[in-house]
Amino acid sequence: MMRFLEKVLPLFSWLCGAVLVAAISSVTGYLLFKGLRGVNLGLLFGTTDPVAALMLRQQVFDGLFPAMVGTLSLVLMSVGWAIPIGIAAGIYLAEYARGRTKMIFNLLFDILAGLPSVIIGLFGFSLTLFLNRHVSEALRPCLLISSIALAFLVLPYIIRTTQLAFESLPVQSRMTARALGASRLQNIVHVLLPQAFPGISSGVILAIGRCAEDTIVIMLTGVVASAGVPRSLLSPYEALPFYIYYISSQYGDQQELARGYSAAILLLIICLFLFSLAFLIKKGARYRTLYRP
Amino acid sequence: MEPPVKIRINSLSFCYNGRKVLRHTSVSFSTNSITAIVGPSGTGKSTFLMTLNRLWEELPNCSLQGTVEIRFNGVFSNIYEREFAVEKLRRQVGMVFQTPNPLPMSIFKNVAFPLELAGEKEKDFIRARVEEALQKVRLWDEVKDRLSESALSLSGGQQQRMCIARAMILQPEILLLDEPTSSLDHTGAEAIEQLLLQLKQNCTILVVSHYLDQVKRIADRVVELRDGQLCSR
Repeated sequence: MMRFLEKVLPLFSWLCGAVLVAAISSVTGYLLFKGLRGVNLGLLFGTTDPVAALMLRQQVFDGLFPAMVGTLSLVLMSVGWAIPIGIAAGIYLAEYARGRTKMIFNLLFDILAGLPSVIIGLFGFSLTLFLNRHVSEALRPCLLISSIALAFLVLPYIIRTTQLAFESLPVQSRMTARALGASRLQNIVHVLLPQAFPGISSGVILAIGRCAEDTIVIMLTGVVASAGVPRSLLSPYEALPFYIYYISSQYGDQQELARGYSAAILLLIICLFLFSLAFLIKKGARYRTLYRP
Repeated sequence: MEPPVKIRINSLSFCYNGRKVLRHTSVSFSTNSITAIVGPSGTGKSTFLMTLNRLWEELPNCSLQGTVEIRFNGVFSNIYEREFAVEKLRRQVGMVFQTPNPLPMSIFKNVAFPLELAGEKEKDFIRARVEEALQKVRLWDEVKDRLSESALSLSGGQQQRMCIARAMILQPEILLLDEPTSSLDHTGAEAIEQLLLQLKQNCTILVVSHYLDQVKRIADRVVELRDGQLCSR
């Protein structure tokens, strides 16, 4: 029986991997087949002059450039809020919190991780109403509120991956610098954090993907069908996932649907760009911290 | 004339995970000497070393009672007093572990690391001290052309010598070595022994060792840890 399992298990694992690769390839392939033809400057800028649009001298009304800018700004801002807070919280949980405090924080972050995105969206919406009534009437659903709400959505990914990355470092790594006279903070900054980078960056990549794809949170907090390139943090904005959702549920003809597929390809390209950026930063920061003489 | 006492331990008890490793033991160690600590495996020799630089405080479920006094600048200080800065202590009491533990950094950064932690910023000074430390452990010629390579690329023996260089770079007054030659071949071990004999001119050395012939070659005194007590042999 054991010998049978020894032979079957690797085969089963290989098969699962192959199914996964096939699934991803077929989805991407289908998307490319349906939408690649439509990916051109016209899709981005419509009838507007691309240079004028890029210089923000002319608004784009019939292209996806504003939605691309909106998505990129939204993801960068959300991850920008979530990274420092998430890493700090993860480090606190792994290195400082003990006993009951650690248990309570773990429970709270687990609850936050399990919240459906519509609840986070409603939180963002309620926050907007509160700010509108009590702070300034100028505060309405906007890029800033969306990014804060999305940051809440992805915080648990970054917290958990940071905590796990720190906790899985070998005890010897932890003790070496301390034996050399490093303070707790020096140990974290100079030794543990650079070693935990790969783990943390996978959390950041997950967070980027989650921010880029989420629709329900942004629908409740600031995204609109047509707003142009956001002029400030307090402006409503366009975003690719919302455009894709909108087109796929209300398309008038096949040409419009094809634009939806092309928009999905653009979203993939943005994600790929952000993942590569995260990878390069990780690699650069690691080299700078650890190996530069 | 007896050399002056460097470390004075009085009624030291240590408990790790509910197990009593040291039981009201008292012992002292002389300045600029090599003391070998021997005893059966698992009796707590490594743990005892950690009570001298308070490294055990990084481990969970440990407790300590008693006093450990070290003479710095001619005056004995209890290292467990509240106002005694632990980081400062560890810069004066270097430690080398049983298995080489290079940090995942370049060779240069590994050796220079304690200096940087201590706030040294002068690059030329750091370079000179790194070279000096690596020369002392006879590693300079082997690594001088690849200082920016990862320290993990060194062989086991080279890594251990680098760890000793790293522990020595702050010129500590006390050096704790936990079986430093256990991962080295004969030549590597001999080089470390020669180095220790050279270092003892300016340093008090406590070395845990299982090799009795090595102990005979280098130790001025042998102390055995048995049933939680440290006794001279």
